[in-house]
Amino acid sequence: MNNQQSNANLNPAMVQLTDVFKTFNAGTVNEVRPMQGVNLTITEGSFVIVLGGNGSGKSTLLNAIAGSFMIDTGKIELNGEDVTQWPEHKRATLIGRVFQNPFSGTAPSMSILDNFSLAAKRGKFRGLSWAHSSNLQDELKDRVSELKMGLENRLDTAIGSLSGGQRQALTLLMATWLKPKLLLLDEHTAALDPKSADQVIALTEQIISKEKLTTLMVTHSMQQAINLGDRIIMMHKGNVLHDVNAHEKQRLRIDDLLSRFENVRRRELLDESVADLLRLRYI
Amino acid sequence: MTLLIGALTLGIILSLLALGVYISYRIFDIADITVDGSITFGAAVSSVLLVQMGVHPLWATLAGFLAGAIAGTVSGILQTHFKINPLLSGILVMTGLYSVNLHVMGRSNIPFLGTVTLSTYCEKIGNIVFGGNEILLMGWTVSTTDLMTLILMFLLVSSISLVLWLFFHTDLGTAMRASGDNPQMIRALGGNVEYYKIFGLALSNGLVGLAGALWAQYQNFADVQMGIGMVVWGLASVIIGEALAGTASVVTAIIGTIIGSILFRQLVAIALSFGLNPNDLKLITALFVFAALILPNMLSKLSVGKRKVAL
Repeated sequence: MNNQQSNANLNPAMVQLTDVFKTFNAGTVNEVRPMQGVNLTITEGSFVIVLGGNGSGKSTLLNAIAGSFMIDTGKIELNGEDVTQWPEHKRATLIGRVFQNPFSGTAPSMSILDNFSLAAKRGKFRGLSWAHSSNLQDELKDRVSELKMGLENRLDTAIGSLSGGQRQALTLLMATWLKPKLLLLDEHTAALDPKSADQVIALTEQIISKEKLTTLMVTHSMQQAINLGDRIIMMHKGNVLHDVNAHEKQRLRIDDLLSRFENVRRRELLDESVADLLRLRYI
Repeated sequence: MTLLIGALTLGIILSLLALGVYISYRIFDIADITVDGSITFGAAVSSVLLVQMGVHPLWATLAGFLAGAIAGTVSGILQTHFKINPLLSGILVMTGLYSVNLHVMGRSNIPFLGTVTLSTYCEKIGNIVFGGNEILLMGWTVSTTDLMTLILMFLLVSSISLVLWLFFHTDLGTAMRASGDNPQMIRALGGNVEYYKIFGLALSNGLVGLAGALWAQYQNFADVQMGIGMVVWGLASVIIGEALAGTASVVTAIIGTIIGSILFRQLVAIALSFGLNPNDLKLITALFVFAALILPNMLSKLSVGKRKVAL
């Protein structure tokens, strides 16, 4: 087990966040501070699960790395490059993403083939060559038939007519079609029924282990957090509260996770009751 | 018959405008009023090149395309770089273009009397191909110039449509379609949505400018007011086309849009020949588009209502 840890230390950092701060709607009543000095290092090849309550900043963490918004201060490095100032589409050369909403990851009125022809050019120059190359069609047929969803003969179907589970499975395949340096999964099974969610999770595991992808996966499911990945980080109020490494994670149970959350919640309650007490006394 | 051929030819020329509106309205989901300015801009630039500078009609026509493309680019930059609402960007560029067009033309109307235009070439080719000024077509005497203009415009629009269809199936064209369909997705796949939008609006308004250049040469004059309400005209064509051909693929949409434009022009010609006051034309076009926009919703509500009764 020590071996495993030292191995992890030897691997270079794929993602490095240094003192990242972000405030939305600064100075208004809607001010939100989802990132308050986040420091995080993710080594190459590791599969990190991100847990946290609503508003803890876990989705914001993924969006910050992907470049959906620019951070206020701090530094983000990907694959050894400083990408802090890179726009979203430029970072996509390194990143594959699957969103929570099955509608977000695919272009609904376009065919499965169209969508994959876009994925096959992720982060590359898009010129005037024919999008539906025969190589792509053949490979796509093979890969889609592996999903066992019966979609291989429906490649001309508009992707919007498929179920949420099918769309998420396809989005996952699209995000990893060109091997990304980093895969970001943002609660990608949260909007699915349990059966589809299990299917998509099985596919996720299969692809990540086969391609040895560095992965950051946000989830609400404690079960997924226990079963998947080799590291768990728990976010709270815009910061990393707990960091569970592979060694610890092997012995971790759902109850442990829940009790850690319970601790946080209790601390929160205390804070609020103290605040109330003070308010009663002084106002 | 002359009336029919005239309406057909104009319908085909204006289908380039309709294709431009299809790109902005359907692919990028933008109601782009720049069109009202860029069709006149295309006509103005090509007419000045033709009448005052004696440029070859082919180059002058191509300049009309470029003029429209420039107008579209400006509109696109206002929307993406300066984050101005698409409708407002269109209004700003259209309004600005009115003055620009007046400056380019130097007055409000340029007649093409005695100028060598594409129509001149159509006349020459028509005379050679059909061997005379007039021929008998299905019992009617038809001017060979008119017939040749119709044929050449049809060939031109067909080849432009083919190029458009091919373009929208290239890597770049597919990415442009996706950026209208789901911008978040195409960003995550490394597409620069802002760049695609500028490029798309340039292409759209380029086609519109080309339509303006051809239209001016067909009617033998350019007028600073010829663009008023043309975006609604284009919308009407796109909507008729969708009703007829559906929206299943790019090819049906393109063919539908062209048929829509031709049909709409025919309807207008018929209405005018039955004594419709030309002053009412814009109002009726606007009402038509209004009806086409609300009817699908009302029909689906009606059918839902019926189903409830049936249950």
